[in-house]
Amino acid sequence: MKKTIGYWLSATWLAIVAFLAIFGQWLPLWDWEEPDYDNIGQTPFTSWKHPLGTDGNGIDIFSGLVQGARITMLIALVSVILGGAIGSALGITAAYFRGKFDAFMNIAFSVVLSIPNLVLSLSLVSILAYSDEDNPTTDTRRIMVLILSLTIVIIPILGRIARATALQWANREFVTASKSMGTRNLRIVRDHLLPNVAPAIIAIAFLAVGVVIIAEGSLAVLGVGVPNGKSWGSQLAGAIIDIEFYPQSVYVPALFIAATVIAVNYFGDYFRRSLDRRESKI
Amino acid sequence: MSLVKVSDLSVSFTTERGELRAVRNVSLSLNAGESLGIVGESGSGKTVMSRAIMGLLPRTATRTGSVEYDGQELVGKPTKELRELWGTGMSMIFQDPMTALNPVRRIGTQVEESLRVRLGMDKKAARSRAQELLELVRIPDAKQTLRKYPYQLSGGMRQRIMIAIAISCNPKMLFADEPTTALDVTVQAQVLNIIDELRQDLNMTMILVTHDLGVVAGHTDRIGVMYAGQLVELAPTTELFANMKMPYTEALLKSIPRLETPTGSRLPVIEGRMPDPTKDEPGCPFASRCPYATDKCRAEAPPFVEGTPGHFYRCWFPLGGAQ
Repeated sequence: MKKTIGYWLSATWLAIVAFLAIFGQWLPLWDWEEPDYDNIGQTPFTSWKHPLGTDGNGIDIFSGLVQGARITMLIALVSVILGGAIGSALGITAAYFRGKFDAFMNIAFSVVLSIPNLVLSLSLVSILAYSDEDNPTTDTRRIMVLILSLTIVIIPILGRIARATALQWANREFVTASKSMGTRNLRIVRDHLLPNVAPAIIAIAFLAVGVVIIAEGSLAVLGVGVPNGKSWGSQLAGAIIDIEFYPQSVYVPALFIAATVIAVNYFGDYFRRSLDRRESKI
Repeated sequence: MSLVKVSDLSVSFTTERGELRAVRNVSLSLNAGESLGIVGESGSGKTVMSRAIMGLLPRTATRTGSVEYDGQELVGKPTKELRELWGTGMSMIFQDPMTALNPVRRIGTQVEESLRVRLGMDKKAARSRAQELLELVRIPDAKQTLRKYPYQLSGGMRQRIMIAIAISCNPKMLFADEPTTALDVTVQAQVLNIIDELRQDLNMTMILVTHDLGVVAGHTDRIGVMYAGQLVELAPTTELFANMKMPYTEALLKSIPRLETPTGSRLPVIEGRMPDPTKDEPGCPFASRCPYATDKCRAEAPPFVEGTPGHFYRCWFPLGGAQ
């Protein structure tokens, strides 16, 4: 399929974000926790020292974003991979075995999907990582709970896709053929269904990464994200009070989040389109 | 000695329109090494019957009666135990080689699957056995073919792969479910010859399901004709063609287009339709389409009688008179 400009832009952007997330900690950047009191609220693109400016506390915005990329990407990837794995396993086996298990999974997915993402993760985080002045939770625990709750959000999204796609494949002749040779059910699920269902899951998984990034940001704004500006969402959330005086401390992280979500969405769509073309050829 | 003994086998599906009786009280037995052809038009229950003998039915199906294989009763056996028999005891060649191979896995992996899973071969042994199997079904360049994907092969080649998979665990009993229907006429003969040779070399018992009387003629010892879920005629192949008793068998044979019919004339067909499988109507199921039908046919179902030894039919007024 022809690679469009959008494809290359998205690819480049995601490559940059991935590079920053992985190697950012070794780049010669301003310490992201160290305020520069001489340059408070500097506008972006006005100096090499702080390329994307500083916020109201003199914190370098770019360094913060590099640090945030690591946490945000960690949360997004781990929860999508985990949720995708669990969701696909449940969805594909449900589609293959049908019957009561399938009916149960179908209802379970619908029930979880009917709860809005934010409400679900908000309540999970509030219960599992409750924190007040007397009992502060560690950042690690917060991140773990965030990942867990976002995983639970992802499971039914990808599980449903996996189930629907697997239903198309489960009654194909080659499944019966393999069965007629005495292959065990779980092996059929793994060797025959999974490889055929995987492309569709991967396409939607890209979109799910976007969903998770947005959810993480929203949770941060609501006050239950990763504290202390360690992720993109919390960086943005912490700067909201400064929006009148130092708008760059809000719009720069917001643009980063938006660009990344658009890029993964584009990728997901591209993947799905090329898949549709493949399907139409078969 | 009979390898498979089917008695009173019925299969029904629960559908929204009620109980659909796809196979009705079929009884037959097969000797080891024998080849039985099952013919009938679409929807006559031939595929369901062959799958029912194996136990390879969807969950919505109920199977009653008895299937004895090698002295074991298969009806009512849990899938777990049947699985031990599938592949090694009985296996099946499927109708459409385009859909019976997994499009995203290499030929090699698919041929090796049952070798490794069922026979416990290691990777290397399975690979060389797979190559042998492909050579057995006369695939040129077997080694290269193992590395290919199904889409890279023609229909005839894929059907040979299916045959290679089906015989990979040396089954005693082979079901060929319309193995040549999806293939070109020129390839049909090759594939049938391969099946025939393998059957004789490996001494397999076979049930060949098809709607083409021409296909079964040269490749079977006996032929069973199915109509509306019932076995309506069963006879040794030569006896059936020489001395057919059922008007339905005759109609089937007449509906094969012939070279000598003038161009532009209408193809011969059997007028009318098969009775609704969800209903139970009295009389012979073929009565409404039968040129010889009388009031008796419409009122009372004929029994399955043995006219001459080994030749069974289900008709009140058999062709050539009752013997």
